[in-house]
Amino acid sequence: MKPRPLGAYVILSAIALLSFAPLLYMARVSLGQGGDLPISPSDWWGRPFTLDHYRALAAGGPMARFAINSIVVSCVALPLQLLLAASAGHALARRRFLGKNVTLALATAFLVLPRQVTLVPLYLLMAKLGLMDTYAALILPHLADPFGVLFMAHYYQTMSAELEDAARTDGLSAGAIFRRIVLPLSGPGLAVVGVNGFLTTWNAFYQPLVLTTSESMRTLPVGLALFAQSEYSVDWGALLAGSSIATLPVLVAFALFQRQIVEGVLQGSGR
Amino acid sequence: MRGSRPSIGLLPWGLAFLVFGLFPLLYALVLSFQQMNPLRPDLTHFVGVSNYARALTSASFWHSLRTTVFFVVGTIPVTLTLAYLVAGQLATIRRGQGFFRAAIFFPATVSMVVIALVFKSLYAEDGLLNGWLAASGVSRVHWLQDVRTALPSIMLMDIWGSVGYYAILILAGRKTLPPEQLEAARLEGLSAWEVERRIVFPHLRPVLLFVVLLNTIRSFQIFTEVFVLTRGGPLESTLTLVYHLYERAFYHFEMGYASAIAYLLLALVGVVLLVQRRVLMSRREAPLSGGVG
Repeated sequence: MKPRPLGAYVILSAIALLSFAPLLYMARVSLGQGGDLPISPSDWWGRPFTLDHYRALAAGGPMARFAINSIVVSCVALPLQLLLAASAGHALARRRFLGKNVTLALATAFLVLPRQVTLVPLYLLMAKLGLMDTYAALILPHLADPFGVLFMAHYYQTMSAELEDAARTDGLSAGAIFRRIVLPLSGPGLAVVGVNGFLTTWNAFYQPLVLTTSESMRTLPVGLALFAQSEYSVDWGALLAGSSIATLPVLVAFALFQRQIVEGVLQGSGR
Repeated sequence: MRGSRPSIGLLPWGLAFLVFGLFPLLYALVLSFQQMNPLRPDLTHFVGVSNYARALTSASFWHSLRTTVFFVVGTIPVTLTLAYLVAGQLATIRRGQGFFRAAIFFPATVSMVVIALVFKSLYAEDGLLNGWLAASGVSRVHWLQDVRTALPSIMLMDIWGSVGYYAILILAGRKTLPPEQLEAARLEGLSAWEVERRIVFPHLRPVLLFVVLLNTIRSFQIFTEVFVLTRGGPLESTLTLVYHLYERAFYHFEMGYASAIAYLLLALVGVVLLVQRRVLMSRREAPLSGGVG
C-alpha cells in the first residue's frame, strides 16, 4: 500500500508558508519607508521597497551599537565554550575520579531546572564582583552552561580511546594528546556544541537584560525589546529592520548547521 | 591506567559552573530566607520562612500561578496535537522532506524577542490583523490591550513558535520505528488509521511524554513573550510566575521574596518532573534513542 503524498505536500506547503509568513512580514516592513505597518495586500506590493532603515542602522546610533555588542559577546563566548566543553567533556569521559558522578548529576540537573532561579543571585554576584554592565558579565554565565560539556563527554565515551592510549605509550604528554589527537577528532561533536551555543548566546535575553544598565552595553535582543517599550509611537520599520539583522546570523547558522541544531535539540540543548 | 584525580581539563568549566551555576542556585535558596534590598545591603537579615508564607498568602502570587497554569494547560494540547499531525505528514513524504522539515523547524531557532516583536506588530491597533478584520467588516480587536484577549494572543504566538520544534522531536521518534514492523502490519491488511493507532502511537508514547514534559517546563518559564508584548498587563491578565518574579526583584528590589518565588517555581517544576518520570519509568522504552536521518 502506497501513501498518497500529494495531499501531504499541499498541507506541508501551507504549514511551511505559515511558519515563514511572520518572518517575511518582518522583512517586508523593514524594507519599507517610515514607521507605518502595511495592513493590506496592496500595501505589500504597492509601497516602495527601500533600504532606508538599514542605511539608518548602518549610519550608527543605538541599534548599530546593540549589534556590535551581540557580535562581540558571541565571538568571544563561542571559542571559549568550545574549548571548555572539549576539555571538561574529555576529562569526564576518560577519567575516573572522586565526585565525577556528582558532577555529572549536577550538570544534568542544571539542564532541566528553570534557569531563572539563578537570575537574582547572578545579578547580585556580578554587582559584587564589579562586573555589572561589562562584557564579562554578558559572557561568563554562558561558560557555565553544562550542555556542551555533557554532550562532549558522551561524544568521547562513544569514541575509542585506543589512539590516545597508544600515544601515551609513546610518551606523549596529556596536553599534547589532547591537542594533537583528541581535538582533531572532535569536529562533529564540537559543531553541535558550537552552533547550539551560538544560538543560545546570540538569542539570550533575560540575563543580559538584568546584567546591563546602560544603553551602550545592550545586546540586540535586549535593545530591541526595550526599544519597543517606548511610550511614544513605535517606529516599526526601524524596529523590524533591527529584528531582521538579529535574525540573519541565525538564518545563516541554520542553513549551514541544520542537522547539528536538530541533534542538539534532541540531546536537550533546547531552552 | 586512568588517573583517579580529575584532570586539569575539567578545571576551567568546573570553576565557571561552580561560580556562575551552582553558587547562584544555592545563594537563591539562602536569599529566599532573607530580606534583601540591593540598595541597602547593610539591612539584609534573616526572616525565616516569611517570604514563603507571604507568597503563599499573596493574591498576586496565586494569580500569576493561575495565569501560568492556564497558559500551560491551554497551549500544550493544541501544540502537541498540531505537532503530531505535522510530524505525521512529514513522515509520509520522502522527496523534499528535508526542505519542509527545515522550513517548519526554523522559527524555533529565531530569537523569542524577534518573534514577539513581529507578533506585536501584527497585533497592533493599526496592524495587519486589525487591517484584515476591518477589510472584512468586523470591528477591531484590541488584541493585547483587552483583558480577555491578551493572554490568548500570547498563547497563540507560543503555539505558532513551538509546533515546528516539537514536530521535529516527534518525527525523530517516528524514525526509530523499525520499517519492517510497519511493513508487516500493512501486509496483514491493517488500514493506515489502524497502523497509526495500534503501532505508531504506542511506539511514540514515550516521545510524546518527553515532549509534554519539555513543553511544560518551558511554558512554566514563560517571560520574554510577556516582557515584550504586555509587561504583565492589562490588569495583570498576563502576569506569569517568572514575570512576577522579575517585577518583584528588579522593580521593587525584593531579592529575598523574588528568590522565594524562584524556589517555589523550582519545586513546582520538580514535582512535574517527578510525576512525569514515574509515568516514563513505567514504560520500557527510552524516550529518544535514535538520531534524525
